[in-house]
Amino acid sequence: MTVASGRSIAPYLDLRAHRDGEAAVLVARRREAIGRFEEAGFPTSRDEEWRQTNLGPLLRRPPAVASPAPGGLPVEAAAALLYEDCRRMVFVNGRFAPAASALPEGIAAVPLAGLSAAGGAAGTAGDVVLEHLAASVDGRASCSADAGVHAFAALNTGLFEDGAALVIPAGAVVERPIQVLWISAPAPAGRSAGDSAGEGGPAAIEVSFPRLLVVAGENSQASIVETFAAGPAAGGYFVCPAAEFVCEAGSVLRHTRLQADAADAFHLGFQHARLARAARFDSSSLAFGGGLVRNDTVALLDGEGADCILDGLYVVDGSRFVDNHMRVEHRQPHTTSHQLYKGVLAGRARSVFNGRIYVHKPAQKTDAKQTNRNLLLSGSALANSNPQLEIFADDVRCTHGSTIGRLDEDALFYLRARGIRRDEAYRMLVYAFARELVEKTPFEPLRQDLEARLRASLNGGPGSGRSGGRGGDGPGGAGARAGR
Amino acid sequence: MLRVMDLHAKVEEQEILKGVDLEVRAGEVHAVMGPNGSGKSTLAQVLAGKEDYEVTAGSLELDGEDLSEMAPEERAHAGLFLAFQYPVEIPGVGNSYFLKAAVNAVRKARGEAELDAMDFLQLLRERAKLVDVDEALLRRPVNEGFSGGEKKRNEILQMAVLEPRLAVLDETDSGLDIDALKTVAAGVNALRREDRAFVVITHYQRLLNYIVPDRVHVLQDGRIVRSGGSGLAHELEEKGYAGLSDGSSGD
Repeated sequence: MTVASGRSIAPYLDLRAHRDGEAAVLVARRREAIGRFEEAGFPTSRDEEWRQTNLGPLLRRPPAVASPAPGGLPVEAAAALLYEDCRRMVFVNGRFAPAASALPEGIAAVPLAGLSAAGGAAGTAGDVVLEHLAASVDGRASCSADAGVHAFAALNTGLFEDGAALVIPAGAVVERPIQVLWISAPAPAGRSAGDSAGEGGPAAIEVSFPRLLVVAGENSQASIVETFAAGPAAGGYFVCPAAEFVCEAGSVLRHTRLQADAADAFHLGFQHARLARAARFDSSSLAFGGGLVRNDTVALLDGEGADCILDGLYVVDGSRFVDNHMRVEHRQPHTTSHQLYKGVLAGRARSVFNGRIYVHKPAQKTDAKQTNRNLLLSGSALANSNPQLEIFADDVRCTHGSTIGRLDEDALFYLRARGIRRDEAYRMLVYAFARELVEKTPFEPLRQDLEARLRASLNGGPGSGRSGGRGGDGPGGAGARAGR
Repeated sequence: MLRVMDLHAKVEEQEILKGVDLEVRAGEVHAVMGPNGSGKSTLAQVLAGKEDYEVTAGSLELDGEDLSEMAPEERAHAGLFLAFQYPVEIPGVGNSYFLKAAVNAVRKARGEAELDAMDFLQLLRERAKLVDVDEALLRRPVNEGFSGGEKKRNEILQMAVLEPRLAVLDETDSGLDIDALKTVAAGVNALRREDRAFVVITHYQRLLNYIVPDRVHVLQDGRIVRSGGSGLAHELEEKGYAGLSDGSSGD
């Protein structure tokens, strides 16, 4: 079972725990998922889909389940991340924190641990959850044959301890966004242990497996804001989330995924959306934090007229790495997918955008558009962009484009010639490049938060991580070269 | 006010300016004319501090201050303004946001209080009216999708808002129809003041019918080969640049 030294899956399998009273169907799905994980093992650099993602630094360290957080922490850590008047579910180290949460009314919001223990306590919503939970997320029977198994999604299915299920009843219109907060707060010992690699081997890394299921009932409408953040002074943890979105016919679901993990955290996430007839899924994924970040997004357009928007922004500096893997499958006629991903890279940052669009034979009149634009702020930053189209229908409109460029020196000179200092001009231009992705949400408090995070990341503040002070190539560093 | 002495400048190892002398006093309008490739636009860019150009000899002073050691923004703070021949489109940056940032950057550098949103809006509206710029342009991203005339008018608006000591207009007339040209010239004339000077760089005499210069200079092969009164522009129009005898002085 051990694949290779440092890539052993055994320490992860050891994290499995027996859960009393878990529904039989879930037990079976977990067992299957672990089976797939055992079969596949961790991906290596020889695996085409993972060629550019170096998992070595993560897999060298033995995993430990993140411990439940100390009592007062959840509420304090969550406070700064909350939007006014939003209903919310708060999780710390993957476990539900009821004291910090305010469950929404009119829809079913179910902590998954409770569901497991209490069986059918959640009533009909519980049945809906069990129908969909882990039914498709890691690739089984949901994608084209070559999609393979996503090891970390399978791992999440096998190991998640808790999570959130939101079931929006048919026809319901939820006015305000519902927040789902995932706070990682590893024990202080886990933090300092990172340096102690010696005779005892590499120090353990605390891992959590956030799990989200959203079922948008027929003709319902809702908005979910998912936030990944670190507790006070947290660092060096591993968060391995998986999310499923089931969009029933005619539903409209908006999803914002704000990733603001600590600058030395590992974040390997997976999200999966399935859209029925005339459903609409509008998602934004904003990556401001993390040291090694990977997001795999799968969207299956399974009903005629289904429409998805998959947008994203990544702001990366220092020696951080962000990888977005997209897979969109058009399976029915008149389906639409529009993707716009933008990246801002400074320092020695690296990014990958890998976008696959499959248009299956029945999916005539498909409208698929994919755009990836990267702005490099330093000579040492590196952006990879790999758009891939596979089209088996003959009456479709599919376009893709990717650009990797630098800041427009003429624009910079123009602003400076009007008296705007070089560093400020620099920030204005970078902000201008990225702004459409933080400004698209109609929910004002979220928009303000995202704008502030973008500005802060361009100022070398929170979110831009470690290189802000020392980087010679970021906005601050460039300012030092100005003029004289 | 502006004193340029024996200015030499090169770009990519090619010397473009080969000893330019130019002195402009407060309240004056000077025209710099010359054929394509004579170095007119290089002179404008060097004055504004574009880093692609390297000053290899000579000096540049504004009000006695050495410009050559200043960053572009510092030159703007000192009162220099360049109306670009090709204004740059800046998607994602709103025109009025940009203008406010520019005005306040200059005010801050001069030790003046920054304008708040209300005061700035009032100033902007007043100046937009003065130079006949449609307020709709203020709400759009800087120069993005502007017509040629709109871009040039936007330059004049920026000048009106920033109130420079010395304005350099680099072929502001190029590509304008006669109505747009008149509008731009009227804007410039409205901004003429005792304590402000203009350097108007142009290929054609036409603009100088509307902005009447005190002095006209002819730039050829990186040097000013002739200077004179406004009559020199008409002479050039008749005889062309080829008809000039090297080195002689007009009026």
